[in-house]
Amino acid sequence: MDIVNNVKSSSHRIRNSIAAIIGIVVLAGCARNAPQDTWQPRGHNASVINHLQWIIFPMAGVVGVLVFAFAAYTFWKFKDRGQPIPSQSHGKPVVEIILTIIPALILTVVGVFTFRGIFELANTEDTQMVINVTGQQWWWEYDYPAQADQGITQPIITSGQLVIPVGTKILLRETSRDVIHSYWIPALNGKKDAVPGRINLLRLQADKPGIFAGQCTEFCGLSHANMRMEAIALSKEDFAKWVANQQKDYTSPADGSLAKEGEGVFLNQCIRCHQVNGLKKADGTPALAAPDENVYAGAVPNLSHLMSRNTFAGAKFDLLRKSCRSDVWDASSETIGAKYLAGVSESCLNATALRAWLRNAPAMKPMYSDPKKLGPSGGKYRGMPNLGLTETDIDKLVAYLLTLK
Amino acid sequence: MSTNELTLTPSQSPGLVKSPLSISPSRPLGAVRRPVNTTGWREWLFTVDHKKIGIMYGCVAFTFFIVGGVEALFIRLQLALPDGRILSADKYNQMFTMHATTMIFLFAMPMAAAFANYFLPLQIGARDVAFPRLNALSFWLFVSGGLILNASWFLGGAADGGWFMYAPNSGPVFSPSNGVDFWVLGLQIAGIASLIGSINLIVTVLNMRAPGMTLMKMPVFTWMILVVQFLLVFSLPVITVALVLLMFQRSYGATFFDVSQGADPLLWQHLFWIFGHPEVYVLILPGFGIISEVLPTFSRKPLFGYPFVVFSGASIGLVGFGVWAHHMFASGLGPVSVAVFSMATMAIAIPTGVKIFNWLLTMWGGKIWYTASMKFAIGLVILFTIGGLSGVTHAVAPSDTQQTDTYYIVAHFHYVLFGGMVFGLFSGFYYWWPKVFGKMLNEKLGSWNFWFMVIGMNLTFGPMHILGLQGQPRRMYIWTEARAGEGFFNFGFWNLVSSIGSFVLAVGILFFIINVIKTTRNPERAPLDPWDARTLEWLTTSPPKVHNFDRIPVVHHLDEFFHRKYVEDETTHAMTQIATGEDLMRAEEAAADTGIHMPGPSYWPLLLAIGVAVLGMGIIYGTPIMVVGALVVLFSSFGWVLEPSVPEPIDFDSPSHDGHTKEIAPVG
Repeated sequence: MDIVNNVKSSSHRIRNSIAAIIGIVVLAGCARNAPQDTWQPRGHNASVINHLQWIIFPMAGVVGVLVFAFAAYTFWKFKDRGQPIPSQSHGKPVVEIILTIIPALILTVVGVFTFRGIFELANTEDTQMVINVTGQQWWWEYDYPAQADQGITQPIITSGQLVIPVGTKILLRETSRDVIHSYWIPALNGKKDAVPGRINLLRLQADKPGIFAGQCTEFCGLSHANMRMEAIALSKEDFAKWVANQQKDYTSPADGSLAKEGEGVFLNQCIRCHQVNGLKKADGTPALAAPDENVYAGAVPNLSHLMSRNTFAGAKFDLLRKSCRSDVWDASSETIGAKYLAGVSESCLNATALRAWLRNAPAMKPMYSDPKKLGPSGGKYRGMPNLGLTETDIDKLVAYLLTLK
Repeated sequence: MSTNELTLTPSQSPGLVKSPLSISPSRPLGAVRRPVNTTGWREWLFTVDHKKIGIMYGCVAFTFFIVGGVEALFIRLQLALPDGRILSADKYNQMFTMHATTMIFLFAMPMAAAFANYFLPLQIGARDVAFPRLNALSFWLFVSGGLILNASWFLGGAADGGWFMYAPNSGPVFSPSNGVDFWVLGLQIAGIASLIGSINLIVTVLNMRAPGMTLMKMPVFTWMILVVQFLLVFSLPVITVALVLLMFQRSYGATFFDVSQGADPLLWQHLFWIFGHPEVYVLILPGFGIISEVLPTFSRKPLFGYPFVVFSGASIGLVGFGVWAHHMFASGLGPVSVAVFSMATMAIAIPTGVKIFNWLLTMWGGKIWYTASMKFAIGLVILFTIGGLSGVTHAVAPSDTQQTDTYYIVAHFHYVLFGGMVFGLFSGFYYWWPKVFGKMLNEKLGSWNFWFMVIGMNLTFGPMHILGLQGQPRRMYIWTEARAGEGFFNFGFWNLVSSIGSFVLAVGILFFIINVIKTTRNPERAPLDPWDARTLEWLTTSPPKVHNFDRIPVVHHLDEFFHRKYVEDETTHAMTQIATGEDLMRAEEAAADTGIHMPGPSYWPLLLAIGVAVLGMGIIYGTPIMVVGALVVLFSSFGWVLEPSVPEPIDFDSPSHDGHTKEIAPVG
């Protein structure tokens, strides 16, 4: 680049800027299937937003190109070529007023569409199904209240992966148990904060079955980056199957199996915080977790039907091995339901990650779980501590967890 | 008070016009004698001279620019590759919190204060600011605040809640280290500094303009600084309230943001952004002001549509108070609030657009001289336009719910603040360096400086647009390949480009530092009027004399200095040069005032600032320290009040006629 010849450089720079802007638009399209792409709506609400994006982005682009073209011409045309000092004109009010009115008009048009979009997205009246979404450091809990018309006869509690039926207008009622989080599945809608002490509403609707990735987008402390989630849209039939499975009664592993021993380890250790619905103690009384006594937020993921999900620990880790994972994630919308409902089999289990997590959870995901540093939270953990399990215990636990289909 | 009441007699300098004590400076008053003019380090520590304070503001702010820049490089190193391992999650959170805090409060604001301090009195033909000792206090409080903020790195970890410090994540449970306490105290002290400074500059502009300089003949830089000071006066109290609430929550068990006690965490967000959005204009308007001086000078034309630029600046300031909730579109405000704030945000684009058009039309028909300063000014116009247009895309609230808290926003505000503000400041460095130091920065190095910065800046922040639209959220200490997308141009590619760009940018800054060192070593003096400039600060020596002007100029025109050099042919409108800067300087020196009173140095601003800092540390480390700090504050306040207005031998004799100030000699 010739830095001495200023005029040449300046016009180059302008040309480069224009090229860069066009380049941005073109190249952005080159990244295929970014799971959180904000320009690939897969449902009504995201489409409403996308239509607005298709108004405002090209408009901004055109205005930008016009301004830069005018600027580039000015830089070139009025370079000092020895011309006399120009007359000292202080401006032309007519030009000023025209240049004020034009952007005002453009923005008025944009404003009308924006207004419509805002109120359309705020509509919750024709909701068909409600799911309560609760954020806490650093995972999401989903609580499906009983809704007979959706086939949900008893409440369902799950975490990490939100399962919804396609074509249904879902209302998420969001709140938080500690700090502010934000729920965001870009393919289905924009984000909405989960604020403690408040309930915020967010509507989702998926057109076709699929897995849609998301990420907590309000900074929520140490492991904010590790607070992920997915929305799984299933056909209505598949959703009914999923509901039926979630409401299935607990079956204890066969006596004498490794899994049965694992149940014992679970009852010794994990039950302090983690609930498995229907699990009974050795004396036959219900085993009840008490996360509120041990964890600051007062809740930890409910592990009933753990293996029906395919991520764990705030959706940071996959329960599926890589090949099995791509088999589900890359499935077509026709086949994805069956593949998702198959859950996690022993051969597909991502045992490495699960075992590492059980071995020393804080090493896998930054959390406040050093017992010596829990003074400010009144001795309560924020995250899962290192339980000091032996490898044998881990073998047993993994075998047990695999039975939680 | 109108300027006309401030008729100046030779023995009265504007700074002291109201003080009866200045009439009899030889009578020692007060408990402690003032320091007399000294040399060496004392000259700087106890100075109340707006120019020295301006230079000190600049040096300290630039140091913090380097600190914040290094923090930024750490962030980009961490994010260059997936699952980065340079920083832990904890350190990363501290790093981005302190990067923003440092760049906003310890670099951008004080660097603007440096320019304002130095040039505002010169541009309005005054000899100092209205309250010189308060000016020194502002500076030392800013230094105290900055040191406290950064001391946290060595005392248990820096603040880790983001510069926006949302409740309840900022509470004692969620951020157990002392980092947030240091942050709260540092910002309160820096806030006092800014508040005092803003009142000082408002009084200076309103009361101390040279005769004939009506508000609408005031240089645009001074105008923008004035708007900024009003923004500060009205917005800083709000953040101060928020900081005090947070301080009481963290240090004394109050529950303002404790949800279990019925608090609403959105209270903090409203308080923060009612301050935080005007703050954005506090950051950008000085840059606008600087290039509104630079573009006319190097186009040899007056600013196109001066009143439109001034009023659009003022209306940006005003409307800037009505758009804060656009930072909260995802927080669940309800559609009516969102719609109103969405419209207000679009409205603010209009005066901003007016400014851009006016800058381009200033160059239109001009005779453009592409100096380094001009290149940076043009860089601002282009880069800020990109940032402004991406800003309009998230004024559309539904679209913003996809973009907010993603890298698209990071891209947007770095185009606005780095492309806008920082390029404006660098334009100012090149433009005014010869005025401040009497030496020209090297133009060739300036060109390297500019091109590396402009390319580095676009490489760093350009790809962030794409990253954001592809769905990469901000404030994440790692990004994962699981969300990166397929193909070559995925997160991996753009994050790497961005990280490489940040080092190109750093090299650009390095060229500036090299340029400064080289210029300092170069014995060659700058010409008096190297740019054929337009405003009053050029009607004095470089560097300016202690008392700024040999006689207070009488103003007849906008761009007074230019119109003293050129006359316009009434029929052809052709401009003819009738005088050079040197000619004008000789005329001023020939008619110099005698017996000019200048305010004397003082110990108290520095001591008071130290007292406030100790008092603040007492809030973290216990009551005894607080008591010590309070005693120092009390003692220095009394000392301040009882201080004689001027030390005895301070008046200036008639300045020498060779363009340099003579040794200060006692008069009378």
